Amino acid sequence: MAKMTLEDLRKLREQKKGEMDKRDMEGKDVEIIIGMGTCGIAAGAKECLDAFILEIDKAGLGNVTVKQTGCMGLCYVEPTVEVHVPGMPDTIYGKVDAAVVRQIVEEHLVGKTLVNNHIFDRPAADIIRN
Amino acid sequence: MHAAVGDFVLDCLQNSVEAGADRIDLEIFQEEDRLRVTLRDNGCGMDQEELKKALDPFYTDGKKHRHRKVGLGLPFLAQAVDLAEGTFRLSSEKGRGTTLEFGFSLNHLDAPPLGRLDKTFLSGFLFSGDHELVVHRHLRGKSGAAGYTVSRRELTDALGGLEETDSLVLARDFLRNQEEELVKITF
Repeated sequence: MAKMTLEDLRKLREQKKGEMDKRDMEGKDVEIIIGMGTCGIAAGAKECLDAFILEIDKAGLGNVTVKQTGCMGLCYVEPTVEVHVPGMPDTIYGKVDAAVVRQIVEEHLVGKTLVNNHIFDRPAADIIRN
Repeated sequence: MHAAVGDFVLDCLQNSVEAGADRIDLEIFQEEDRLRVTLRDNGCGMDQEELKKALDPFYTDGKKHRHRKVGLGLPFLAQAVDLAEGTFRLSSEKGRGTTLEFGFSLNHLDAPPLGRLDKTFLSGFLFSGDHELVVHRHLRGKSGAAGYTVSRRELTDALGGLEETDSLVLARDFLRNQEEELVKITF
């Protein structure tokens, strides 16, 4: 492939946007927040981010935003991921590797059930947004 | 401690974002095996006292995590650079911003590997806020020198945001393409 330009990127986006508009849009109401602190990165948060982008794209979910934050205060179970789905409790998952990412996408985002064995407590109170 | 240069850089980049900078410049210059990195921001900056403390792993201003007693980003980097017998310089002016410069030979036995810079840049662009981050990448290899520049504002503008998965997929591919083409031209 030749070197891509911003113009190419703009065109690709228009193309993708066309495909997206055909889908039944529910609004951007699902939020995935990945902990990218020193602890997270050391435990594989970058692979976790890659996996989320891949799996959400594969599942064709148009209503998900992926964000990253620093350390959530749960360094012992990194990589950690916070998942907000309307109508479901806000959940912090820990020890999220690529296989668990797939589970979260399939079970939590699509199936609307929590993924057992990876649910951890709320993060440290000082970083909870009010 | 982190494994790759990109991870160290990401920590420092987050410092700049959290220092309230609205303009951040990251330069990663590579001449053969010689690596030179500069990170410049116009955030809140530090006075001389804070500047000294910033390299102490047991110092933090305590604002981000109330009970935490450590701040490891810069100390880890300084340690890694020291091990690789490189150069490290941190300068800052209160209210004006901070500049971090470091360099070493990637062939040094104790040097951290560069890592996947395209992934570092993607993560760097994803820290939320409406600040500008401009990444300058330069590489001189066996068959010549080349470089590329990516601006967060331009990238966000071209993709209509950086949060939707579709945009992230395109941003990821775009950055990988820039890096791959660069290596192809210069090696």
